[in-house]
Amino acid sequence: MNPLELTLGIMTAVGGFVDISELVFAARAGSTFGFALIWVFAFSTVGIVVFSEMSGRVAAVAKQPVFNLMRHRLGLELGLVTLVASVISNLITCAAEIGGVALMLNYLLGLSYVLMAVAMTIALIVSIWVLPFKWIERAYGLLGLFMIVFAAALFANHAPWTRIAGGLVPQVPRGLTTKEMLSFGYFCVAIVSAVMFPYEVYFYSSGGIEEEWGPKDILTNRLTSILGMGLGSLLAIAILANSAILFGPANVDPAIPGTAALEAAIPFGKWGLILALLGMFFAVAGAAVETCLANAYSIAQFFGWAWGRHKKPWEAPRFTLTWIILFLAALAIVLTGVDVMTLVEFAVLFSILVLPLTYLPLLLLSGDRKFMGRYANGAVTKWLGWFYFWIVCIAAVAALPLYFLTSGGNG
Amino acid sequence: MGRSACILLALLSACSEGAAKDLQYIKQARSIGAEWALVNDQAHSGRVTTVYVQSMHHWLHDSLQTASSSLTQPQSEYGREISQLLAEPADAPPDQLRSHVTKLKQIEDQLESA
Repeated sequence: MNPLELTLGIMTAVGGFVDISELVFAARAGSTFGFALIWVFAFSTVGIVVFSEMSGRVAAVAKQPVFNLMRHRLGLELGLVTLVASVISNLITCAAEIGGVALMLNYLLGLSYVLMAVAMTIALIVSIWVLPFKWIERAYGLLGLFMIVFAAALFANHAPWTRIAGGLVPQVPRGLTTKEMLSFGYFCVAIVSAVMFPYEVYFYSSGGIEEEWGPKDILTNRLTSILGMGLGSLLAIAILANSAILFGPANVDPAIPGTAALEAAIPFGKWGLILALLGMFFAVAGAAVETCLANAYSIAQFFGWAWGRHKKPWEAPRFTLTWIILFLAALAIVLTGVDVMTLVEFAVLFSILVLPLTYLPLLLLSGDRKFMGRYANGAVTKWLGWFYFWIVCIAAVAALPLYFLTSGGNG
Repeated sequence: MGRSACILLALLSACSEGAAKDLQYIKQARSIGAEWALVNDQAHSGRVTTVYVQSMHHWLHDSLQTASSSLTQPQSEYGREISQLLAEPADAPPDQLRSHVTKLKQIEDQLESA
Protein backbone atom coordinates (compact mmCIF):
# COMPACT_ATOMS: atom_id res chain seq x y z
CA MET A 1 0.00 0.00 0.00
CA ASN A 2 1.57 3.25 -1.19
CA PRO A 3 0.79 5.98 1.41
CA LEU A 4 0.86 8.76 -1.21
CA GLU A 5 -1.54 6.86 -3.45
CA LEU A 6 -3.79 6.14 -0.48
CA THR A 7 -3.82 9.78 0.64
CA LEU A 8 -4.59 10.97 -2.88
CA GLY A 9 -7.34 8.36 -3.18
CA ILE A 10 -8.92 9.46 0.10
CA MET A 11 -8.66 13.16 -0.77
CA THR A 12 -10.19 12.46 -4.18
CA ALA A 13 -13.11 10.68 -2.53
CA VAL A 14 -13.57 13.57 -0.08
CA GLY A 15 -13.57 16.23 -2.82
CA GLY A 16 -15.74 14.13 -5.09
CA PHE A 17 -18.37 13.18 -2.50
CA VAL A 18 -20.74 16.11 -2.90
CA ASP A 19 -22.68 16.44 -6.12
CA ILE A 20 -25.48 18.78 -7.18
CA SER A 21 -28.23 16.71 -5.50
CA GLU A 22 -26.45 16.54 -2.15
CA LEU A 23 -25.69 20.23 -2.39
CA VAL A 24 -29.32 21.13 -3.05
CA PHE A 25 -30.85 18.77 -0.50
CA ALA A 26 -28.30 19.56 2.24
CA ALA A 27 -29.02 23.29 1.92
CA ARG A 28 -32.80 22.78 1.79
CA ALA A 29 -32.79 20.24 4.65
CA GLY A 30 -30.89 22.61 6.93
CA SER A 31 -33.10 25.62 6.23
CA THR A 32 -36.33 23.63 6.61
CA PHE A 33 -35.61 21.28 9.52
CA GLY A 34 -32.56 22.78 11.23
CA PHE A 35 -30.10 20.11 12.36
CA ALA A 36 -32.71 17.34 12.55
CA LEU A 37 -31.68 15.69 9.26
CA ILE A 38 -27.94 15.43 9.94
CA TRP A 39 -28.38 11.84 11.08
CA VAL A 40 -29.89 10.89 7.70
CA PHE A 41 -26.70 12.06 5.96
CA ALA A 42 -24.55 10.13 8.45
CA PHE A 43 -26.79 7.05 8.18
CA SER A 44 -26.76 7.08 4.35
CA THR A 45 -23.01 7.59 4.29
CA VAL A 46 -22.55 4.32 6.21
CA GLY A 47 -24.75 2.71 3.53
CA ILE A 48 -22.72 4.00 0.59
CA VAL A 49 -19.48 3.07 2.38
CA VAL A 50 -20.74 -0.51 2.84
CA PHE A 51 -21.75 -0.92 -0.81
CA SER A 52 -18.73 0.90 -2.27
CA GLU A 53 -16.36 -1.23 -0.24
CA MET A 54 -18.28 -4.31 -1.38
CA SER A 55 -18.15 -3.33 -5.05
CA GLY A 56 -14.45 -2.45 -4.81
CA ARG A 57 -13.71 -5.82 -3.15
CA VAL A 58 -15.62 -7.72 -5.83
CA ALA A 59 -13.73 -5.77 -8.49
CA ALA A 60 -10.41 -6.61 -6.80
CA VAL A 61 -11.07 -10.30 -6.17
CA ALA A 62 -13.50 -11.44 -8.86
CA LYS A 63 -12.47 -8.79 -11.41
CA GLN A 64 -16.14 -8.35 -12.12
CA PRO A 65 -17.83 -4.95 -12.46
CA VAL A 66 -21.32 -4.47 -11.00
CA PHE A 67 -23.27 -4.65 -14.26
CA ASN A 68 -21.68 -7.86 -15.35
CA LEU A 69 -22.84 -9.41 -12.09
CA MET A 70 -26.28 -7.98 -12.51
CA ARG A 71 -26.81 -9.68 -15.86
CA HIS A 72 -25.72 -13.03 -14.45
CA ARG A 73 -27.55 -12.78 -11.13
CA LEU A 74 -30.80 -11.14 -12.23
CA GLY A 75 -31.10 -12.89 -15.57
CA LEU A 76 -31.28 -11.22 -18.97
CA GLU A 77 -34.80 -9.76 -18.71
CA LEU A 78 -34.57 -8.26 -15.22
CA GLY A 79 -30.99 -7.26 -15.99
CA LEU A 80 -32.22 -5.37 -19.04
CA VAL A 81 -34.94 -3.63 -17.01
CA THR A 82 -32.28 -2.59 -14.48
CA LEU A 83 -30.02 -1.40 -17.27
CA VAL A 84 -32.72 0.76 -18.87
CA ALA A 85 -33.83 2.17 -15.50
CA SER A 86 -30.31 2.96 -14.39
CA VAL A 87 -29.37 4.51 -17.75
CA ILE A 88 -32.40 6.83 -17.49
CA SER A 89 -31.60 7.64 -13.86
CA ASN A 90 -27.91 8.32 -14.57
CA LEU A 91 -28.73 10.33 -17.67
CA ILE A 92 -31.03 12.64 -15.72
CA THR A 93 -28.42 12.88 -12.98
CA CYS A 94 -25.75 13.71 -15.57
CA ALA A 95 -28.01 16.41 -17.06
CA ALA A 96 -28.53 17.88 -13.57
CA GLU A 97 -24.75 17.93 -13.04
CA ILE A 98 -24.09 19.61 -16.41
CA GLY A 99 -26.77 22.18 -15.63
CA GLY A 100 -25.18 22.66 -12.20
CA VAL A 101 -21.71 23.17 -13.70
CA ALA A 102 -23.08 25.72 -16.18
CA LEU A 103 -24.81 27.55 -13.32
CA MET A 104 -21.60 27.70 -11.28
CA LEU A 105 -19.75 29.21 -14.24
CA ASN A 106 -22.60 31.65 -14.69
CA TYR A 107 -22.23 32.74 -11.04
CA LEU A 108 -18.45 32.97 -11.41
CA LEU A 109 -18.07 34.58 -14.83
CA GLY A 110 -21.50 35.91 -15.74
CA LEU A 111 -21.39 34.17 -19.12
CA SER A 112 -24.54 32.73 -20.72
CA TYR A 113 -25.89 29.59 -19.01
CA VAL A 114 -26.65 27.85 -22.31
CA LEU A 115 -23.25 28.73 -23.74
CA MET A 116 -21.56 27.45 -20.57
CA ALA A 117 -23.52 24.19 -20.70
CA VAL A 118 -22.34 23.59 -24.28
CA ALA A 119 -18.74 24.67 -23.55
CA MET A 120 -18.52 22.55 -20.41
CA THR A 121 -19.89 19.46 -22.13
CA ILE A 122 -17.17 19.82 -24.75
CA ALA A 123 -14.55 20.44 -22.03
CA LEU A 124 -15.68 17.36 -20.08
CA ILE A 125 -15.56 15.19 -23.21
CA VAL A 126 -12.05 16.46 -24.00
CA SER A 127 -10.91 15.88 -20.41
CA ILE A 128 -12.06 12.25 -20.49
CA TRP A 129 -10.45 11.75 -23.89
CA VAL A 130 -7.12 13.31 -22.92
CA LEU A 131 -6.56 12.45 -19.25
CA PRO A 132 -5.49 9.00 -18.03
CA PHE A 133 -8.27 7.35 -15.96
CA LYS A 134 -6.59 7.92 -12.61
CA TRP A 135 -6.26 11.65 -13.29
CA ILE A 136 -9.80 12.08 -14.59
CA GLU A 137 -11.04 11.13 -11.13
CA ARG A 138 -8.28 12.89 -9.23
CA ALA A 139 -8.32 16.19 -11.08
CA TYR A 140 -11.97 16.87 -10.28
CA GLY A 141 -11.93 15.26 -6.83
CA LEU A 142 -8.85 17.13 -5.61
CA LEU A 143 -10.04 20.48 -6.95
CA GLY A 144 -13.41 19.78 -5.34
CA LEU A 145 -11.55 20.10 -2.03
CA PHE A 146 -12.08 23.87 -2.32
CA MET A 147 -15.40 22.97 -0.73
CA ILE A 148 -13.58 22.67 2.58
CA VAL A 149 -14.42 26.37 2.81
CA PHE A 150 -17.92 25.24 3.91
CA ALA A 151 -16.41 23.41 6.89
CA ALA A 152 -14.30 26.47 7.74
CA ALA A 153 -17.42 28.63 7.45
CA LEU A 154 -19.10 26.48 10.06
CA PHE A 155 -16.45 27.57 12.58
CA ALA A 156 -16.66 31.20 11.47
CA ASN A 157 -20.47 31.13 11.71
CA HIS A 158 -20.18 30.19 15.41
CA ALA A 159 -21.75 26.77 14.97
CA PRO A 160 -23.72 25.43 17.96
CA TRP A 161 -21.68 22.24 18.19
CA THR A 162 -23.85 20.58 20.84
CA ARG A 163 -26.96 20.96 18.68
CA ILE A 164 -25.07 19.73 15.61
CA ALA A 165 -23.88 16.68 17.55
CA GLY A 166 -27.49 16.19 18.70
CA GLY A 167 -28.49 16.06 15.01
CA LEU A 168 -26.47 12.86 14.64
CA VAL A 169 -29.00 11.06 16.84
CA PRO A 170 -31.85 9.56 14.78
CA GLN A 171 -34.91 11.70 15.41
CA VAL A 172 -38.12 13.18 14.06
CA PRO A 173 -38.64 16.76 15.26
CA ARG A 174 -41.48 17.18 17.74
CA GLY A 175 -44.66 19.10 17.04
CA LEU A 176 -44.70 18.67 13.27
CA THR A 177 -48.03 18.83 11.44
CA THR A 178 -48.97 15.91 9.20
CA LYS A 179 -47.83 17.90 6.15
CA GLU A 180 -44.51 18.72 7.76
CA MET A 181 -44.09 15.10 8.81
CA LEU A 182 -44.60 13.98 5.21
CA SER A 183 -42.15 16.63 4.06
CA PHE A 184 -39.63 15.36 6.63
CA GLY A 185 -40.17 11.84 5.25
CA TYR A 186 -39.61 13.09 1.71
CA PHE A 187 -36.33 14.74 2.71
CA CYS A 188 -35.19 11.50 4.40
CA VAL A 189 -35.85 9.52 1.21
CA ALA A 190 -34.26 12.17 -1.02
CA ILE A 191 -31.11 12.33 1.10
CA VAL A 192 -30.76 8.52 1.15
CA SER A 193 -31.09 8.56 -2.64
CA ALA A 194 -28.71 11.49 -3.17
CA VAL A 195 -26.00 9.97 -0.98
CA MET A 196 -26.41 6.40 -2.28
CA PHE A 197 -26.77 7.22 -6.00
CA PRO A 198 -26.34 4.01 -8.04
CA TYR A 199 -23.78 5.61 -10.38
CA GLU A 200 -21.33 5.77 -7.48
CA VAL A 201 -20.95 1.99 -7.19
CA TYR A 202 -20.96 1.48 -10.98
CA PHE A 203 -18.18 4.00 -11.33
CA TYR A 204 -16.24 2.87 -8.26
CA SER A 205 -16.22 -0.82 -9.17
CA SER A 206 -15.42 -0.20 -12.83
CA GLY A 207 -12.68 2.19 -11.71
CA GLY A 208 -11.19 -0.60 -9.61
CA ILE A 209 -10.97 -2.77 -12.71
CA GLU A 210 -9.57 0.13 -14.77
CA GLU A 211 -6.82 0.48 -12.19
CA GLU A 212 -6.26 -3.29 -12.13
CA TRP A 213 -6.95 -3.78 -8.44
CA GLY A 214 -6.11 -7.15 -6.96
CA PRO A 215 -6.48 -8.71 -3.49
CA LYS A 216 -3.47 -6.64 -2.35
CA ASP A 217 -5.60 -3.50 -2.82
CA ILE A 218 -8.40 -4.60 -0.51
CA LEU A 219 -7.11 -2.58 2.44
CA THR A 220 -6.68 0.51 0.24
CA ASN A 221 -10.24 0.00 -1.02
CA ARG A 222 -11.56 -0.27 2.53
CA LEU A 223 -9.71 2.81 3.80
CA THR A 224 -10.62 4.89 0.74
CA SER A 225 -14.29 3.99 1.12
CA ILE A 226 -14.49 4.58 4.86
CA LEU A 227 -12.27 7.63 5.22
CA GLY A 228 -12.92 9.25 1.83
CA MET A 229 -16.69 8.99 1.92
CA GLY A 230 -16.89 9.51 5.67
CA LEU A 231 -14.92 12.76 5.52
CA GLY A 232 -16.70 13.76 2.30
CA SER A 233 -20.06 13.49 4.02
CA LEU A 234 -18.81 15.98 6.63
CA LEU A 235 -18.76 18.59 3.85
CA ALA A 236 -22.41 17.85 3.06
CA ILE A 237 -23.22 18.07 6.77
CA ALA A 238 -21.35 21.40 6.96
CA ILE A 239 -23.54 22.76 4.15
CA LEU A 240 -26.64 21.57 5.99
CA ALA A 241 -25.53 23.04 9.32
CA ASN A 242 -24.53 26.40 7.80
CA SER A 243 -27.92 26.51 6.12
CA ALA A 244 -29.66 25.83 9.45
CA ILE A 245 -27.70 28.68 11.04
CA LEU A 246 -27.95 31.27 8.25
CA PHE A 247 -30.92 30.44 6.03
CA GLY A 248 -33.55 28.94 8.35
CA PRO A 249 -33.91 32.05 10.54
CA ALA A 250 -33.92 34.27 7.40
CA ASN A 251 -36.92 32.39 5.89
CA VAL A 252 -34.72 31.19 3.02
CA ASP A 253 -35.39 27.76 1.53
CA PRO A 254 -32.68 27.82 -1.17
CA ALA A 255 -34.52 27.91 -4.50
CA ILE A 256 -31.37 27.95 -6.62
CA PRO A 257 -28.01 26.17 -6.11
CA GLY A 258 -26.03 29.43 -6.00
CA THR A 259 -27.56 30.42 -2.68
CA ALA A 260 -25.44 27.79 -0.89
CA ALA A 261 -22.32 29.79 -1.79
CA LEU A 262 -23.53 32.57 0.52
CA GLU A 263 -22.72 30.25 3.44
CA ALA A 264 -19.03 30.97 2.78
CA ALA A 265 -19.51 34.55 1.56
CA ILE A 266 -21.21 35.73 4.74
CA PRO A 267 -18.22 34.95 7.03
CA PHE A 268 -15.34 35.25 4.52
CA GLY A 269 -16.51 37.76 1.90
CA LYS A 270 -15.60 37.59 -1.79
CA TRP A 271 -12.82 35.02 -1.41
CA GLY A 272 -15.11 32.73 0.54
CA LEU A 273 -17.69 33.06 -2.21
CA ILE A 274 -15.17 32.32 -4.98
CA LEU A 275 -13.70 29.30 -3.18
CA ALA A 276 -17.19 27.92 -2.52
CA LEU A 277 -18.22 28.36 -6.16
CA LEU A 278 -14.96 26.82 -7.43
CA GLY A 279 -15.33 23.86 -5.07
CA MET A 280 -18.94 23.35 -6.14
CA PHE A 281 -17.93 23.70 -9.80
CA PHE A 282 -15.22 21.02 -9.67
CA ALA A 283 -17.20 18.64 -7.45
CA VAL A 284 -20.25 18.84 -9.73
CA ALA A 285 -18.10 18.58 -12.89
CA GLY A 286 -16.51 15.43 -11.42
CA ALA A 287 -19.95 14.01 -10.75
CA ALA A 288 -20.97 14.76 -14.38
CA VAL A 289 -17.98 12.74 -15.59
CA GLU A 290 -18.72 9.90 -13.18
CA THR A 291 -22.41 9.64 -14.10
CA CYS A 292 -21.66 9.63 -17.80
CA LEU A 293 -18.85 7.08 -17.56
CA ALA A 294 -20.92 4.97 -15.15
CA ASN A 295 -23.65 4.80 -17.78
CA ALA A 296 -21.21 3.88 -20.54
CA TYR A 297 -19.61 1.23 -18.31
CA SER A 298 -23.05 -0.28 -17.56
CA ILE A 299 -24.09 -0.47 -21.21
CA ALA A 300 -20.73 -1.84 -22.40
CA GLN A 301 -20.54 -4.41 -19.59
CA PHE A 302 -24.11 -5.55 -20.13
CA PHE A 303 -23.60 -6.17 -23.84
CA GLY A 304 -20.09 -7.55 -23.39
CA TRP A 305 -18.30 -4.85 -25.40
CA ALA A 306 -14.67 -3.88 -24.91
CA TRP A 307 -14.67 -1.07 -22.37
CA GLY A 308 -12.46 1.11 -20.20
CA ARG A 309 -10.50 4.32 -20.30
CA HIS A 310 -7.29 2.34 -19.80
CA LYS A 311 -7.75 1.41 -23.46
CA LYS A 312 -7.17 3.92 -26.27
CA PRO A 313 -10.54 5.37 -27.39
CA TRP A 314 -10.34 3.53 -30.70
CA GLU A 315 -9.58 0.22 -28.96
CA ALA A 316 -13.04 0.34 -27.33
CA PRO A 317 -14.97 2.20 -30.07
CA ARG A 318 -18.53 1.32 -28.94
CA PHE A 319 -17.73 2.28 -25.36
CA THR A 320 -16.16 5.58 -26.51
CA LEU A 321 -19.09 6.39 -28.77
CA THR A 322 -21.51 5.54 -25.95
CA TRP A 323 -20.06 7.98 -23.39
CA ILE A 324 -19.85 10.74 -25.99
CA ILE A 325 -23.48 10.19 -27.05
CA LEU A 326 -24.57 10.09 -23.39
CA PHE A 327 -22.89 13.42 -22.72
CA LEU A 328 -24.62 14.94 -25.75
CA ALA A 329 -27.97 13.45 -24.66
CA ALA A 330 -27.55 14.98 -21.19
CA LEU A 331 -26.70 18.32 -22.80
CA ALA A 332 -29.81 18.05 -24.99
CA ILE A 333 -31.92 17.65 -21.82
CA VAL A 334 -30.33 20.79 -20.35
CA LEU A 335 -30.92 22.71 -23.58
CA THR A 336 -34.67 21.99 -23.45
CA GLY A 337 -34.67 24.64 -20.71
CA VAL A 338 -35.78 22.38 -17.88
CA ASP A 339 -34.78 23.86 -14.53
CA VAL A 340 -31.75 22.33 -12.74
CA MET A 341 -33.72 21.97 -9.50
CA THR A 342 -36.39 19.96 -11.36
CA LEU A 343 -33.69 17.74 -12.83
CA VAL A 344 -32.26 17.21 -9.35
CA GLU A 345 -35.71 16.15 -8.06
CA PHE A 346 -36.17 13.69 -10.93
CA ALA A 347 -32.63 12.33 -10.58
CA VAL A 348 -33.21 11.60 -6.92
CA LEU A 349 -36.61 9.99 -7.59
CA PHE A 350 -35.42 7.74 -10.41
CA SER A 351 -32.28 6.74 -8.55
CA ILE A 352 -34.08 5.52 -5.45
CA LEU A 353 -36.23 3.29 -7.65
CA VAL A 354 -33.11 1.73 -9.20
CA LEU A 355 -31.16 1.31 -5.95
CA PRO A 356 -32.60 -2.07 -4.79
CA LEU A 357 -31.90 -3.62 -8.20
CA THR A 358 -28.36 -2.24 -8.11
CA TYR A 359 -27.48 -3.46 -4.66
CA LEU A 360 -29.12 -6.90 -4.59
CA PRO A 361 -26.80 -8.70 -7.06
CA LEU A 362 -23.79 -7.03 -5.48
CA LEU A 363 -24.88 -8.20 -2.05
CA LEU A 364 -25.45 -11.75 -3.25
CA LEU A 365 -22.18 -12.01 -5.08
CA SER A 366 -19.95 -10.39 -2.48
CA GLY A 367 -21.31 -12.86 0.08
CA ASP A 368 -20.77 -15.90 -2.16
CA ARG A 369 -17.86 -17.90 -0.73
CA LYS A 370 -17.53 -19.96 -3.92
CA PHE A 371 -16.88 -16.81 -5.85
CA MET A 372 -15.11 -14.60 -3.33
CA GLY A 373 -13.33 -17.23 -1.21
CA ARG A 374 -11.93 -15.77 2.00
CA TYR A 375 -12.81 -12.27 0.79
CA ALA A 376 -16.56 -12.90 1.01
CA ASN A 377 -18.64 -10.62 3.26
CA GLY A 378 -18.00 -11.05 6.98
CA ALA A 379 -20.84 -11.13 9.50
CA VAL A 380 -20.89 -7.35 10.05
CA THR A 381 -20.78 -6.44 6.35
CA LYS A 382 -23.42 -9.05 5.59
CA TRP A 383 -25.75 -7.70 8.28
CA LEU A 384 -25.15 -4.07 7.27
CA GLY A 385 -25.60 -4.93 3.58
CA TRP A 386 -29.00 -6.56 4.11
CA PHE A 387 -30.09 -3.86 6.54
CA TYR A 388 -29.35 -1.11 4.00
CA PHE A 389 -30.84 -3.15 1.20
CA TRP A 390 -34.18 -3.22 3.04
CA ILE A 391 -33.87 0.46 3.85
CA VAL A 392 -33.48 1.37 0.15
CA CYS A 393 -36.41 -0.94 -0.67
CA ILE A 394 -38.63 0.92 1.81
CA ALA A 395 -37.36 4.26 0.53
CA ALA A 396 -38.08 3.18 -3.06
CA VAL A 397 -41.67 2.28 -2.18
CA ALA A 398 -42.21 5.53 -0.27
CA ALA A 399 -40.49 7.86 -2.76
CA LEU A 400 -43.24 8.50 -5.32
CA PRO A 401 -46.15 8.88 -2.87
CA LEU A 402 -44.09 11.26 -0.72
CA TYR A 403 -43.02 13.26 -3.76
CA PHE A 404 -46.62 13.78 -4.90
CA LEU A 405 -48.05 14.35 -1.42
CA THR A 406 -45.49 17.04 -0.61
CA SER A 407 -45.02 18.55 -4.10
CA GLY A 408 -41.37 17.62 -3.91
CA GLY A 409 -40.94 18.75 -0.32
CA ASN A 410 -42.54 22.14 -1.04
CA GLY A 411 -46.12 21.48 -0.07
CA MET B 1 -81.66 31.49 1.13
CA GLY B 2 -80.45 27.91 1.45
CA ARG B 3 -79.47 27.90 -2.23
CA SER B 4 -77.48 31.15 -1.88
CA ALA B 5 -75.68 29.77 1.15
CA CYS B 6 -74.77 26.65 -0.82
CA ILE B 7 -73.42 28.73 -3.71
CA LEU B 8 -71.43 30.92 -1.29
CA LEU B 9 -70.07 27.83 0.45
CA ALA B 10 -69.09 26.28 -2.89
CA LEU B 11 -67.37 29.52 -3.94
CA LEU B 12 -65.50 29.77 -0.64
CA SER B 13 -64.43 26.16 -0.82
CA ALA B 14 -63.24 26.63 -4.42
CA CYS B 15 -61.23 29.67 -3.31
CA SER B 16 -59.63 27.87 -0.38
CA GLU B 17 -58.86 24.89 -2.62
CA GLY B 18 -57.11 27.26 -5.04
CA ALA B 19 -55.20 28.87 -2.20
CA ALA B 20 -54.15 25.45 -0.91
CA LYS B 21 -52.90 24.59 -4.39
CA ASP B 22 -51.04 27.89 -4.47
CA LEU B 23 -49.39 27.31 -1.10
CA GLN B 24 -46.25 25.80 -2.60
CA TYR B 25 -45.83 28.81 -4.91
CA ILE B 26 -46.39 31.22 -2.02
CA LYS B 27 -43.65 29.38 -0.11
CA GLN B 28 -41.35 29.55 -3.13
CA ALA B 29 -41.99 33.27 -3.59
CA ARG B 30 -41.40 33.93 0.12
CA SER B 31 -38.10 32.06 0.00
CA ILE B 32 -36.99 33.77 -3.21
CA GLY B 33 -37.74 37.16 -1.67
CA ALA B 34 -35.68 36.21 1.39
CA GLU B 35 -32.79 34.96 -0.78
CA TRP B 36 -32.92 38.18 -2.79
CA ALA B 37 -32.76 40.26 0.41
CA LEU B 38 -29.80 38.18 1.66
CA VAL B 39 -27.93 38.65 -1.65
CA ASN B 40 -28.56 42.41 -1.56
CA ASP B 41 -27.42 42.57 2.08
CA GLN B 42 -24.11 41.01 1.10
CA ALA B 43 -23.86 43.12 -2.06
CA HIS B 44 -24.34 46.36 -0.08
CA SER B 45 -21.53 45.39 2.29
CA GLY B 46 -19.25 44.44 -0.64
CA ARG B 47 -18.92 40.78 0.39
CA VAL B 48 -19.92 39.24 -2.96
CA THR B 49 -18.79 39.84 -6.54
CA THR B 50 -20.84 41.98 -8.92
CA VAL B 51 -21.06 39.11 -11.39
CA TYR B 52 -22.51 36.79 -8.73
CA VAL B 53 -25.06 39.40 -7.67
CA GLN B 54 -26.22 40.02 -11.24
CA SER B 55 -26.44 36.31 -11.93
CA MET B 56 -28.40 35.63 -8.73
CA HIS B 57 -30.78 38.49 -9.52
CA HIS B 58 -31.42 36.96 -12.93
CA TRP B 59 -32.14 33.46 -11.61
CA LEU B 60 -34.17 34.62 -8.63
CA HIS B 61 -36.31 36.84 -10.83
CA ASP B 62 -36.76 33.94 -13.23
CA SER B 63 -37.86 31.60 -10.43
CA LEU B 64 -40.18 34.24 -8.99
CA GLN B 65 -41.75 34.78 -12.40
CA THR B 66 -42.34 31.02 -12.69
CA ALA B 67 -43.91 30.87 -9.21
CA SER B 68 -46.10 33.88 -10.00
CA SER B 69 -47.33 32.49 -13.32
CA SER B 70 -48.13 29.13 -11.68
CA LEU B 71 -50.65 30.69 -9.28
CA THR B 72 -54.25 29.62 -9.80
CA GLN B 73 -55.46 32.85 -8.13
CA PRO B 74 -53.17 35.66 -9.31
CA GLN B 75 -55.70 38.31 -8.23
CA SER B 76 -55.67 37.16 -4.61
CA GLU B 77 -53.94 39.01 -1.79
CA TYR B 78 -50.87 36.81 -2.10
CA GLY B 79 -50.94 37.11 -5.91
CA ARG B 80 -50.78 40.90 -5.59
CA GLU B 81 -47.99 40.65 -3.01
CA ILE B 82 -45.94 38.42 -5.32
CA SER B 83 -46.54 40.82 -8.23
CA GLN B 84 -45.31 43.71 -6.08
CA LEU B 85 -42.21 41.70 -5.17
CA LEU B 86 -41.61 40.99 -8.87
CA ALA B 87 -41.86 44.70 -9.65
CA GLU B 88 -39.07 45.60 -7.21
CA PRO B 89 -35.80 46.76 -8.80
CA ALA B 90 -32.91 44.27 -8.69
CA ASP B 91 -30.98 46.34 -6.15
CA ALA B 92 -34.00 47.03 -3.91
CA PRO B 93 -33.17 47.67 -0.25
CA PRO B 94 -33.15 44.38 1.71
CA ASP B 95 -35.68 45.71 4.25
CA GLN B 96 -38.14 46.55 1.48
CA LEU B 97 -37.82 43.00 0.14
CA ARG B 98 -38.20 41.57 3.64
CA SER B 99 -41.47 43.43 4.15
CA HIS B 100 -42.92 41.42 1.23
CA VAL B 101 -41.40 38.26 2.72
CA THR B 102 -43.06 38.96 6.08
CA LYS B 103 -46.48 39.46 4.45
CA LEU B 104 -46.12 36.29 2.37
CA LYS B 105 -45.02 34.36 5.45
CA GLN B 106 -48.14 35.54 7.32
CA ILE B 107 -50.39 34.41 4.46
CA GLU B 108 -48.51 31.10 4.27
CA ASP B 109 -48.95 30.51 8.03
CA GLN B 110 -52.66 31.35 7.81
CA LEU B 111 -53.19 28.92 4.94
CA GLU B 112 -51.23 26.19 6.68
CA SER B 113 -53.19 26.51 9.89
CA ALA B 114 -56.54 26.58 8.00
